[in-house]
Amino acid sequence: MSTTTPVPTRSAGLRNLLTRKGGNKQGHTTFVDRAALGVAGLMVLLALVGPYLAPMDPYAVDLAKSLTPPGSEHWMGTDANGRDILSRVLAGGRTTILATVAVIAVATVIGTLIGTAAALGGRIVDEILMRICDVGLSLPAIVVALGLAAAMGPSLQSAVIALAATWWPGYARLVRTLVRETRDAEFVESARVLGVSRTRLVLRHVLPNSLSALYVQTTLDVSAVMLVISGLSFVGVGAQVPASEWGAMIAASRDTAITAWWTVLFPGLAIALTAIAFNLVGDWLRVRTDPTLRTGGR
Amino acid sequence: MNTAEETPLLEARNLVKTFSGRSGTRAVNDVSFTVRRGEALGLVGESGSGKSTTARCVAGLLHPDSGQVLIAGQDVTRARGRALRATRRRIQMVFQDPYSSLNPRMTVADLVGEGMYVHGIEPDRVRRRDRTVELLETVGMGSEHLDRYPRSFSGGQRQRIAIARALAVGPDLLICDEPVASLDVSVQAQVLNLFGDLREKLGLSLLFIAHDLAVVHHLCGRVAVMNSGRVVEQGDREQVYTSPRHPYTRALLDAVPVPDPAAERARAAGRGAVHTQNHHEEKR
Repeated sequence: MSTTTPVPTRSAGLRNLLTRKGGNKQGHTTFVDRAALGVAGLMVLLALVGPYLAPMDPYAVDLAKSLTPPGSEHWMGTDANGRDILSRVLAGGRTTILATVAVIAVATVIGTLIGTAAALGGRIVDEILMRICDVGLSLPAIVVALGLAAAMGPSLQSAVIALAATWWPGYARLVRTLVRETRDAEFVESARVLGVSRTRLVLRHVLPNSLSALYVQTTLDVSAVMLVISGLSFVGVGAQVPASEWGAMIAASRDTAITAWWTVLFPGLAIALTAIAFNLVGDWLRVRTDPTLRTGGR
Repeated sequence: MNTAEETPLLEARNLVKTFSGRSGTRAVNDVSFTVRRGEALGLVGESGSGKSTTARCVAGLLHPDSGQVLIAGQDVTRARGRALRATRRRIQMVFQDPYSSLNPRMTVADLVGEGMYVHGIEPDRVRRRDRTVELLETVGMGSEHLDRYPRSFSGGQRQRIAIARALAVGPDLLICDEPVASLDVSVQAQVLNLFGDLREKLGLSLLFIAHDLAVVHHLCGRVAVMNSGRVVEQGDREQVYTSPRHPYTRALLDAVPVPDPAAERARAAGRGAVHTQNHHEEKR
């Protein structure tokens, strides 16, 4: 195709992504997509300012008000210790979301480094790194987290470390495949003939054209990581008892769940909503960045 | 001065390149040729004849199994490091498919300016931009395109950008690997004329690879014909086109369709006489 439509500058790129017209197959932004983007954005905001929005002290115990149902004073009720659940959900968002982001960030960085090295470092390096990845992939996150909890004492930190340690091999695999594809592209050869240094070749030409699929994958993984972190907290090897973390809150309330539904419903809802929102955003991103759907070029 | 004229700008000596694999094909088998300053050498042959592999060996994208590539008398197949980079700069390459040879995430200014930046030719941003505008003018494009991305250009425009990118480092020789083969026919002539102009204006030498004999005839003073990894014939344009010595060259020339039926018959009667006779006998 030889379209000569004016092309957005870098700053307009995001706007273009959001407002591109066309049928749904071309990545038209539907109402659901907008809602998901909104919720995901809200959750990120929550991670930043959540604790300051909490109407009450999320740690203030008031046994006289134990298990108050939702009402005008406590919108989401109180738990067995009389703590305001709304405040705890708001404050807990930060813990859950930051832990998730930490896992994804660490796994992405390690995965990108290892994957790129495997793709560009020659056959022997590739073999060694990929076998290490195989080992990493074969370890279930929960088992590693339990082991780490036993060794370092149960804490959110050990859960995050365990998750990051088991999550990066997947990214390394993905990055390796993506970089191997780009590595042989003609524009990379063109840069080589031009005399571009190895470092610049990787940073400027190979990686920027490889990683869009990785961004989609990380967004999709937010929900998965968050569920595992909440799950680990629920089992007791993640965030510890007084901390307001969504999974830990559900775990602490499991004895009262039958008589006081609000103690588990609201943190559970928060987890489910965030997970669904990030999943939808990931899907939306995937359609948007699919090279076959890009305008211009071929 | 005298020695500079005697030493060819580019000399390929007995290049051999075998691709590993079960078949172990010798893509390039003992290929030698020279390109003198300001000269255009056309490398023709059918697809799979080893033209592109030869070009990639010369450009340094592939390491030949044996043989040498000399640039102004300096062996670049053995050189390393800084000396190699400085010499390599003198040979640049324009690729076949301008849709894949330009980094889609770089603007025209970045693409054209990159060579000047990495070689420290024009370290200053503003002056580099000025120079980029000049280069774009040289290839017939306006400065309004500077901040656009490759996807907003047509094939012909992209190829012009690719040429400007190659010219930015001030090469003496341009390797053109089928640079018009993936362009619309209407644009091919324009880009070909651009190569001709550049050769005249900048004193650029060309190693021009094509399967289209007309294209080579238009642009190159000397022609080398390749078939299954070997150069089967090499010589001046007129000599190769009018009195080809090797049967493969003859077959190649006969395969070119002639738009005038009378001329076509005349050619068949002349060069292809044996061929037609055989054909008649078969019919009988």
